[in-house]
Amino acid sequence: MVILRMEGIRKAFGGVPALDGVHFELHPNEIHGLLGGNGAGKTTLMNILFGLYRMDSGDVFLHSKKISISAPRDAIAQRINMVHQHFLQVDSFTVLENILMGAPLKESLTMRFGEEEKKIAAIQKRFGLEIDLGATLGDLPMGTRQKVEILKALYRGVEILILDEPTTNLTPQEVDALFLSLREMVKEGLSIVFITHKLREVLSVCDRITVLRNGRNVTTLRKGEAPEEEFVRGMVGEEMNLEKSILFSGIRESRAAPLPGGEALLKLEGAGLRTADGLQRLKELSFEVRPGEIFGVAGVAGNGQTELAELVLGLQPPTAGRVLVSGRDVRERTTAQLLGEDVAYIPEDRLHDGFLPKANIAQNLILGAQRSRPYSNGWLIDWKTVFASAQEMIAQYHIKTAGPGEVGGNLSGGNIQRVMIARAFSREAPLLVAHNPTRGLDIPSMDFVYSKFLERKAAGRASLLISEDLDELLLLCDRIGVIYKGEILGILPREKFEKYAIGQLMSGVRREA
Amino acid sequence: MDAILVSIVAYAKLILLSMVPFVLAGQGTMLGGRTGVFNVAQEGIMLVGASVGFLVSYLSGSIVLGMAAAMAAGALFGLALAYFTTHLKMDQFVIGLALFFIGVGLSTLLPKLIIGVTLTPPLVPTLKDLPVPLLSKIPLLGEIFFNQNVLVYVSILVSVALWWYLYRTKLGLELRSVGENPQAADSLGINVTRARYWSAIIGGMMIGLAGAYLPMVYTGTFTEGMVKGRGWLAIALTFFGGWKPLTILYGAAFFATIEVLAYRVQVVGTGIPYQFLLMLPYLATIVVMILTFGKTRAPAFLGQNYDRERRAL
Repeated sequence: MVILRMEGIRKAFGGVPALDGVHFELHPNEIHGLLGGNGAGKTTLMNILFGLYRMDSGDVFLHSKKISISAPRDAIAQRINMVHQHFLQVDSFTVLENILMGAPLKESLTMRFGEEEKKIAAIQKRFGLEIDLGATLGDLPMGTRQKVEILKALYRGVEILILDEPTTNLTPQEVDALFLSLREMVKEGLSIVFITHKLREVLSVCDRITVLRNGRNVTTLRKGEAPEEEFVRGMVGEEMNLEKSILFSGIRESRAAPLPGGEALLKLEGAGLRTADGLQRLKELSFEVRPGEIFGVAGVAGNGQTELAELVLGLQPPTAGRVLVSGRDVRERTTAQLLGEDVAYIPEDRLHDGFLPKANIAQNLILGAQRSRPYSNGWLIDWKTVFASAQEMIAQYHIKTAGPGEVGGNLSGGNIQRVMIARAFSREAPLLVAHNPTRGLDIPSMDFVYSKFLERKAAGRASLLISEDLDELLLLCDRIGVIYKGEILGILPREKFEKYAIGQLMSGVRREA
Repeated sequence: MDAILVSIVAYAKLILLSMVPFVLAGQGTMLGGRTGVFNVAQEGIMLVGASVGFLVSYLSGSIVLGMAAAMAAGALFGLALAYFTTHLKMDQFVIGLALFFIGVGLSTLLPKLIIGVTLTPPLVPTLKDLPVPLLSKIPLLGEIFFNQNVLVYVSILVSVALWWYLYRTKLGLELRSVGENPQAADSLGINVTRARYWSAIIGGMMIGLAGAYLPMVYTGTFTEGMVKGRGWLAIALTFFGGWKPLTILYGAAFFATIEVLAYRVQVVGTGIPYQFLLMLPYLATIVVMILTFGKTRAPAFLGQNYDRERRAL
């Protein structure tokens, strides 16, 4: 009954345990959801199975035989393959070259791929993965690039397919197509490990789930046997109050309220951004965010979201039109002034933009506000106040750390995200620009962030929520603008929210009228 | 009429002859870079190649042995570069500069230790022209292309072979993938470490041979600093050649043209200060770099080290 068994898997990175005696079982012909927040160890576990990481101790059994995997080529030989969240592809190669890289070729001295192409075409047909094999990979949209990854695995012959957060960059339509393909594969005899943190996906596609938390097993459940609540409970943990949760009970009365009025806190008037070498990054953006509004920006990653955030923060001046924050042109103030006065910012990339790994937690928590009261008198930083409020934030935002003096780099990804969230929300700035604020958080933490957004709304503050998680946007926002290739293709008010309509815009299909 | 034709043929022949060090050093740099190993020690490696190649052929009397020794020395430098960057994951640029300085030092130290200081410079016979049967009889073209020394042929053949290897073979595809996205290559079972070692070592060999060409063809002896910046130019050449074997070959011809012109003008004596003429190749580099800026691309992983288990925060 069991096709793969992993037992007592341990792995530490630099002395910090990432997996602490985890076991995992995969049955034939199932889609097995592997769940947990950032730092739970789900990707680490699968990277070990795929040979990218070496385990410190533990055993892996395939068909009841002990196997040893020390590099991806061993895993591929055992018919195990993995589709990573960040696709492992060569952008400058064609689709065909990406698929055939590393695989044996019949005519290895001519690059004539007749036979191989036929084989790929057959697989494409069988699983509904139609792609132009001659296209250059870097030009393709995310959904297609993912198909390439799956095709790559199928081409090598695969019995166990691991998918790491496969829906991250997909539109709802693409997600549906993916799930159909997955079902087809399972029917054909594959077993699939599906790493995700999204509840809805698990409920719709997985047969069993295994939940990890902090590198340990929490539970394993079968869908037929356990009621849905137990599934949910298994994922979110015991402490979370589902009744009070925004994620599960949705947002009721207050959400039906009409759009708040008042002077817009953020206003874009035909704002555009063109790079020095002539690339149009943003085009004719016009919208406003009013007090008490949560304005969402939906779109597949890389369509101008980062540039939009940087425009509002004054990091890049618009090359056309105007951007007004609290009625003043962003060009009037430096980014430091904006951050100190009117704007709080949660950057998308915590590794590069949002966090100083070598500074301590307290310093990270006041980053951007270090020049203004109460942390500074204009000349010197008052470390006493800083540490006191850092203590408060650590408690309030459940940051797992030894204290405000701990070095930032010691924190896990999820905790770093909490630091950035604490920093942004505690500023109580009139405008918040949040880019993927819940990335990497577990479900209770996500819920907490959502409640913070609603608090801002109730207090009459404006939020610009740029997110790749459509469910999150549908849940929180008053209006959603869909961005595609730097252009807002449509702005939908809450009563017109419809997942598939937004999905269509996300893939660049304009709505009629 | 005839006189002009004769001098054009002579110039063309000279350009092909002077192109060799650029071709070999450029292709060697390109090969390493295709797996992400960015060699910046060309100048030093070429000096060592020149020094060792000269010494071995002087002592053994065999120019072939001299070339082999220069290639072995270059290979050692390539191996060191690969070991420090791929194995110990140290900064490629820093290691490259260190190897450059070691090369400069070794190249002058070795002749002093082995031959000592002499009044007249020790000489080795220079490489003779090797006419290709039949082909060298073609009017004009035969004289230019098929009446050269053996390394001229080798450098052109190596360039074409490298193009074939990189773009027409499975192994070439895999090698390129390592320099573009080693993690992708690794996940498909391609041995990233091995690819980086081999490309750095063979690249080093070619650069070493490029250095040996100078005493063996131009001067017959080793003089201090005789590479005269050709190693640095090879780096620029590789960049504006877009890390492509054939473009590098054409680019090498361009540099050789300028070099030949600069020397000719010097000989004729036009009143232009010769220091300015020596500057020409570098000025040309800057001009070409400006013209080709943004139009060529380097391997995506160039100059970086791959660590399979490196974790994002």
